Amino acid sequence: MDWIFLGELTINGALTGLLYSLVAIGLVLIYKSSAVPNLAQGALTMMGAYVVLAFSHNLGWSLWISIPLAVVIMFFVGMGIERVALRRLAGRPIVMILMMTMGLDIFLRGTTLAIWGGTSRSMNLGVSYNPFFVGDMLLSRIHMVGAAVAIALFIGFMVFFRTRMGIRLRAISDDYLASWSVGISVERGVGLSWGLASIVAVATGVIWGEVQGVDQSLSILLLKGLTVAVLGGLDSIFGAIVAGIILGVLESVGSFYLDPIVGGGSRDLIVAGVLILTVMIRPHGLFGRHDIERI
Amino acid sequence: MAQNETRQDDMILSLNSIEVLYDSVLLAIKGVSIEVPRGGMIALLGSNGAGKSTTLKAISGLLKSERGKVSRGEIRFDGNLIGDFSPQDRVAMGICHVIEGRRVFEHLTPDENLDAAAPMSMSRSEMASEKERMYEYFPRLAERKSSQSGYLSGGEQQMLAIARALMTQPRLLMLDEPSLGLAPFLVTEIFGIIQRINKEEGLSVLLVEQNAIAALEIVSHGYLIENGRVVMHDTAEDLKKNSDIQEFYLGGGEGKNFHDIKHYSRRKRWLS
Ligand SMILES: Nc1ncnc2c1ncn2[C@@H]1O[C@H](COP(=O)(O)OP(=O)(O)O)[C@@H](O)[C@H]1O
Ligand SMILES: [Mg+2]
Repeated sequence: MDWIFLGELTINGALTGLLYSLVAIGLVLIYKSSAVPNLAQGALTMMGAYVVLAFSHNLGWSLWISIPLAVVIMFFVGMGIERVALRRLAGRPIVMILMMTMGLDIFLRGTTLAIWGGTSRSMNLGVSYNPFFVGDMLLSRIHMVGAAVAIALFIGFMVFFRTRMGIRLRAISDDYLASWSVGISVERGVGLSWGLASIVAVATGVIWGEVQGVDQSLSILLLKGLTVAVLGGLDSIFGAIVAGIILGVLESVGSFYLDPIVGGGSRDLIVAGVLILTVMIRPHGLFGRHDIERI
Repeated sequence: MAQNETRQDDMILSLNSIEVLYDSVLLAIKGVSIEVPRGGMIALLGSNGAGKSTTLKAISGLLKSERGKVSRGEIRFDGNLIGDFSPQDRVAMGICHVIEGRRVFEHLTPDENLDAAAPMSMSRSEMASEKERMYEYFPRLAERKSSQSGYLSGGEQQMLAIARALMTQPRLLMLDEPSLGLAPFLVTEIFGIIQRINKEEGLSVLLVEQNAIAALEIVSHGYLIENGRVVMHDTAEDLKKNSDIQEFYLGGGEGKNFHDIKHYSRRKRWLS
């Protein structure tokens, strides 16, 4: 076996995995503050990418202006989603809210398709496509940038959830009624978490848009993100990072060995296998909280 | 009239013929009127399903999350009508409701539970000294302030729920069955602390209990509510002496089963 090649597979796998973590972090943010798995995170990611392109492509503005503008706009889109679609559902069974996020996913995909059409566009971040050499190993630069963004967001949110606002969001996810009873505005807290997740969606959309182009397929990132989030534990940002790396490496190294045997397409099988096994064996994921039995 | 107004001013809370509807059809309380004097301690007693929690939720505004609404009557806090205010506004005005079942934020530490309840306007140093004050009232919490709240004992969780409510700086504290499921020595300890806070800080307290024996030891007056109606209102001393109350709360062992109470309330209505 060629050790350099295996190392390359592993490291590029880990980097790709950290890009999945980006999607997962968005999911965890909303779950951590409202206990809802947001099935629209993939579509939000795609929308984030399109909003950036609307400025950088259609208006020809620099990315340094387009991205911050998209961040602000998407923050309010996220808050708006809570206000318009979710607020009236607060306190209803989680299934209803889950169905609502699924409806949102379909709605956002339909809207972006209607506005921007189905052809793939490029993000043109300006990151070189030449590989980066570590010894004899070839690494992808855009993946390295994306991994750095994932780590930066991870650190940022770890700090945020220790602040007073962050603690309130965690309280909300624990118990809506108890939160209301001590004067916490559950509505505003959940809105904030959607706003933050939508900001993460912009970062994710920019990176993934650069990797694979901006089109409808960005919304399918939800499946990878959800798998990573479930494996890490739906409420653990640290879990999202670790699980992203694990899934990325499994996918990259696993498919290298499996593809010749099954004739290709084993990546999806590996993702499906990880999701199914996690739910069966360890439903709260690697670092997720256990539900505490009431005494 | 003038006398009536001074009386109004003495009351921090007054409910006038409150009716509550759930799901627009189920009439859960039917014309409840109660008053809590400023700095006083009042008990609202009654059996399971009588409408005690519903009454508290009408006051704190938590009804809205359960598709309930006040369909008649008025609620005044400090003389002002509060019916249109959100739960957050009512907390900011000084009403705090410790809900039934000691629902602490289980995945947060006790310290974080207190942080979460501190108003955003409270400064860091103020918050720290408020928390110190809570740990002084509830030394058991201080010992466990960094463990996960979901793993505290029932008594500790109840203390945490009360301390958390006190972090909102209430002037009226409403407690929904704090003694439920707790050993008698813990009930005594917790009620003792509530009494101490009432005396030292003039905090007004509305205590909801099925455990009439314990509650009547610390309050000045009590209301008895049955089937959504107030059926009796008297001083704690007289309620304790009342032969009917003694019959089903104080006599014959536990003696607070539902059948007895039904029997009692029927008799009471014939008598009055
Ligand atoms: N969320 C709700 N929806 C419909 N009915 C309710 C709800 N909560 C309470 N009730 C009904 O209202 C009545 C009073 O309940 P409650 O106030 O909880 O009584 P208590 O606290 O005295 O045990 C009961 O008949 C109960 O079934
Ligand atoms: Mg009750």
